Amino acid sequence: MSGRARVRARGRARSPSPADAPSPTSVDISASEASSTGDFAGTSRISQTHGVSPGDARCPFIQRSGKSRRDFTDLDVCTREKLAHVRDCKTGSSGVPVKLVTNLFNLDLPQDWQLYQYHVTYVPDLESRRLRIALLYNHRELSNKAKAFDGVILFLTQKLEEKVTELSSETHRGGTVKMTITLTRELPASSSVCIQVFNIIFKKILKKLAMYQIGRNFYKPSEPVEIPQHKLSLWPGFAISVSRFENRLLFTADVSYKILRNETVLEFMTDLRQETTMSCFTQTCEKRLLGLIVLTRYNNKTYRIDDIDWSVKPTHTFQKQDGTEITYVDYYKQQYDITLSDLNQPVLVSLLKTKRNDNTEPRVAHLIPELCFLTGLTCQATSDFRLMKAVAEETRLSPLGRQQRLARLADDIQRNKDARFELETWGLHFGCQVSLTGRVLPSEKILMQDHVCQPASAADWSKDMRNCKILSAQSLNKWLILCSNRAEYVTENFLHCLRRAGSSMGFNVDYPKIIKAQEDPAAFFSAVQKHVNPDVQLVMCILPSNQKNYYDTIKNYLNSFCPVPSQCVLTRTLNKQGMMMSVATKIAMQMACKLGGELWAVEIPLKSLMVVGIDACKDEVSKGMVVVGFVASINPGITRWFSRCILQRTATDVADCLKVFMTGALNKWYKHNHGLPARIIVYRNGVGDGQLKTLIEYEVPQLLSSVTEASANTSSKLSVIVVRKKCTLRFCMEMSRSLQNPPLGTVVDSEATRPDWYDFYLISQAACRGTVNPTYYNVIYDDNGLKPDHMQRLTFKLCHLYYNWPGLISIPAPCQYAHKLTFLVAQSIHKEPSLELANSLFYL
Amino acid sequence: MEKNSMEEFQRSTVPRKNVIEFRPPLYKQRYFFVKDIVNQYKPKKVADLGCGNATLLCMLKFHSCVQELVGVDLLMDRLLDWNSDKLSPSIGDHLGPRDLDLSIVLYRGSAVEKDSRLLGFDLITCIELIEHLDSEDLAKFPEVVFGYFSPGMVVISTPNSDFNPLFPASTFRNSDHKFEWNQTQFQHWASNVAKLYSYTVEFTGVGAPPPWAKHVGYCTQIGIFKKKQPDPGSWILAKPTGSRVSEPEEHAYQVVFTASFPSLQQKHFLLFVLCTEVLKEVEAIRQKYVWIMKRKESSEPESEEDTDSGLVRRPGLFLTDAQVAQIEKSPKPYSVGKRFYVPLKRLIGYPKVNRLVADVSTLRTLLAEGIPMRMNRAHTSVQIDLDPYDYPHDYR
Repeated sequence: MSGRARVRARGRARSPSPADAPSPTSVDISASEASSTGDFAGTSRISQTHGVSPGDARCPFIQRSGKSRRDFTDLDVCTREKLAHVRDCKTGSSGVPVKLVTNLFNLDLPQDWQLYQYHVTYVPDLESRRLRIALLYNHRELSNKAKAFDGVILFLTQKLEEKVTELSSETHRGGTVKMTITLTRELPASSSVCIQVFNIIFKKILKKLAMYQIGRNFYKPSEPVEIPQHKLSLWPGFAISVSRFENRLLFTADVSYKILRNETVLEFMTDLRQETTMSCFTQTCEKRLLGLIVLTRYNNKTYRIDDIDWSVKPTHTFQKQDGTEITYVDYYKQQYDITLSDLNQPVLVSLLKTKRNDNTEPRVAHLIPELCFLTGLTCQATSDFRLMKAVAEETRLSPLGRQQRLARLADDIQRNKDARFELETWGLHFGCQVSLTGRVLPSEKILMQDHVCQPASAADWSKDMRNCKILSAQSLNKWLILCSNRAEYVTENFLHCLRRAGSSMGFNVDYPKIIKAQEDPAAFFSAVQKHVNPDVQLVMCILPSNQKNYYDTIKNYLNSFCPVPSQCVLTRTLNKQGMMMSVATKIAMQMACKLGGELWAVEIPLKSLMVVGIDACKDEVSKGMVVVGFVASINPGITRWFSRCILQRTATDVADCLKVFMTGALNKWYKHNHGLPARIIVYRNGVGDGQLKTLIEYEVPQLLSSVTEASANTSSKLSVIVVRKKCTLRFCMEMSRSLQNPPLGTVVDSEATRPDWYDFYLISQAACRGTVNPTYYNVIYDDNGLKPDHMQRLTFKLCHLYYNWPGLISIPAPCQYAHKLTFLVAQSIHKEPSLELANSLFYL
Repeated sequence: MEKNSMEEFQRSTVPRKNVIEFRPPLYKQRYFFVKDIVNQYKPKKVADLGCGNATLLCMLKFHSCVQELVGVDLLMDRLLDWNSDKLSPSIGDHLGPRDLDLSIVLYRGSAVEKDSRLLGFDLITCIELIEHLDSEDLAKFPEVVFGYFSPGMVVISTPNSDFNPLFPASTFRNSDHKFEWNQTQFQHWASNVAKLYSYTVEFTGVGAPPPWAKHVGYCTQIGIFKKKQPDPGSWILAKPTGSRVSEPEEHAYQVVFTASFPSLQQKHFLLFVLCTEVLKEVEAIRQKYVWIMKRKESSEPESEEDTDSGLVRRPGLFLTDAQVAQIEKSPKPYSVGKRFYVPLKRLIGYPKVNRLVADVSTLRTLLAEGIPMRMNRAHTSVQIDLDPYDYPHDYR
């Protein structure tokens, strides 16, 4: 199996995210300044100017900025206080204790540490934020104090003598400005405002270590890793934050890489030119380029490509702000000493955001392709196996390598004179790395039809289940194989292996009808249309290439117009010598699932439990659409699934169709089990930063109401758990003086968790190379009142049940099914799959 | 008589006073004037005395000829903070490094203090500076700038008070100005300074007067001083202050900011740019090669385009006939099995590669270091897969 297959199978594949621009989309917090002294030798800077509104001084930073750090708003949601059974203790008990090293560092403050918040006004009033800051910073009274100031609100660690302080300062124009500094609040170190100030301080410290802020993270341009064959540069760096964990303030640092592309838009266009014919060149160009973010090399700004103007050439003139006309060629020569080499290139058009919300026509910027670097990785790049491999090889760090980077950062922070001085003036002490104790949950047995196996490695039990019968499978009698003329021989070969693999696992595969088609997407599609009818159990397509339109048209037709399970295989896969049997085994299992079969199970102590997975992602084609997938178990053994998917038009990833889904799933359960499930546990994946509150206020009630409406007397008990695959926390285990990934089943439910949440970390996937990324679980609603220990173990069990991979995966199986379903719909089908398929895992 | 005419003049201009407006604004015109000077004389080392918020330096950093930029100001701390970003290398500077090194240093200091770090400059600009000096400092100024720094060229701009009557207010243009000279006063001072320190001086300015007041001259008057050379015309080559090495180091200025830009003179940047360019070129040649091969397979009649066998137009690269002929003569790209090879001798003919390295042996050494996996065993060709998409794909 190729590396990519493995990645996918384990459910680590992510839906491609939109181009990751190195634009300073940050964070208003970074725009506010923190400084300790009047010394400005550092590179403190204001990356963006934000309008200063006169502002309510009581809510600094958060409300005045449009896009505040959204993870801070999540932290204000307290869910644990409503959950009586975990109010005192949310830790589990089973398993073997294991000592773990984290990427957290202690931050110590003096006991009586306080932050004083002041409001500053100017007479005469000054519009310019820069000037406001400059005047305040350079005033004698304040020059030696630790301070953070954004133009309106000032934070000091030392209280000024008076409640209201009046200062006056001279501007360089000779006028006098009076500044009135009024104390508004005294904040204890535990306040969320203080946490934000600490984050500002650390941003400043990282800049002092010659790091470069891109987005929220900090990167070192001085130590780039170059991948010239893919025109990429990688900058190593860190994602950092200061936050309050269980009982103390901790600094988190995780190694991060920024991928920069060394390719201009003009080069991209020229490459396209060679791939396409002249007639569709402009069209293809627009299709591939519009919406991408580019970086101009001369002024370091990022722009979105909104249009391409093919009628404008660099030799044309434009009007400058002062009204004079100049050609693009002359302008760039004059301003930036740049000589444009291609005088026939078109110009890129970008709509500029207007700062004020008035109705003035949006201004546009014309950009020269030759001077614009592409940013982020396109879908095409992320699907390039070699490119991703090259990137992974450079960025994947072993636990030890990661630890060395962290140690170096900690060392730099403690040794750098400026950084240390900054910390000292604020009264902060950067402490040692945090170690904690986790637990390794007992391993699970895998239940097959006539055999219980205790896998040698929970990461992959494919060897253990060789020659074992799967739980149940429908016999495959009436089915089709569609292949190209050239692939006839390999298809026959493959079919032989497939039938052999099927029979050894108890899945009877009869000889199919083989249809041959010409090698082109239209011919394949019409063959499917002609030969597939509702009596057919399954269609297998041996695709000549991985061109997207082969796959998409077939999947689209067979998932909604003529609902028949389908299995696509690339000819290339079947050409792999020596791999045929393992490929056939895997495909046989997929096919069995698509017919509604069950492969294996784990022991579930709860007798009447329904588990649900929900995922949401944006549609690839229509950008305003969100695809919501819902997968629920419909038998007590948790081996059969009900899957639904809907496209909804909303701006956020919040689902509003959950009532329909949940009611549908409960009906299904009722039909199969003649009753309602006693307990329902919902795992919600695909939640972004800052959506926690919406989830609690909007999604949980939908689920609750369908559960209560389902039965008049006793309704099922509901729990909702938010699942996050991405978290900045890492755990490593010390082993004979080296560091290793913790064993599978490691749970962390203390110290690195949040005091206001019922949360835990679980490591359920193996990382053969690199550092494992723990999955974070946050129980936001819980009627079931299961002991934390049982909740953790149940979650771990569910990570064993993903039928596309005979091993543990990083998230509970229903979540991964929901993810796989939304991915298929968002990428290929773009419409709701037929309900007739809802009872099988047709999307595997 | 004189008084009358003056009154008359003033009366006649009163209604027009408000129309005196410069486009682009005068301060920009002054900066563009300096940019033009830089374009014309290509100085390597440029210092701006009284650089304020370093706007001029921000503009000059784009000039490829400039390798050292220095700004000096007394009140730097007030205005530096928001320009330090603009003076630091950006992502773009890392991705597309300059040809030549560039370092930028800002000092806090006075234009009338000596600092040996300002010796040996090709150009020193003093834009709207001298009018801020009191008489004592003004007296010291020529000795420091012309006598001690002694750069190849000095550009001094100052307001022209002859122009002031055209403005509504009759005071100085800025409250900090200690004086504002008319054209005669400035030219007199400048000529004396030039004579004393062996410079030539010519006068010009920006902000042309309105047609009806031609005699007042430019709003900003500018003096361009050039050091007299034994061999006129080669001022930039003959180092103006070569003998200063023996003088003791004097460090009166305080460094407040330094930046060093990535450039092709630094080996790892050269290596990266070269490898990227070579691989782009090889990829383009490969595409063309495959395209021609397919054409031949399908035995379609050859179009005219086929004849330039393997020469692909890269963006911004229009090969001259001589270059095409040169490339044509060099060893051709070839394929063996699934591998495709482009000889280094052919690659060196492409201007984008040739611009970076001059000869095949340097190219070989650098590529062997940068992309060892992409070299054939003899290190004579770059190799890539003939069909880059021919790799194992998984099934869906």
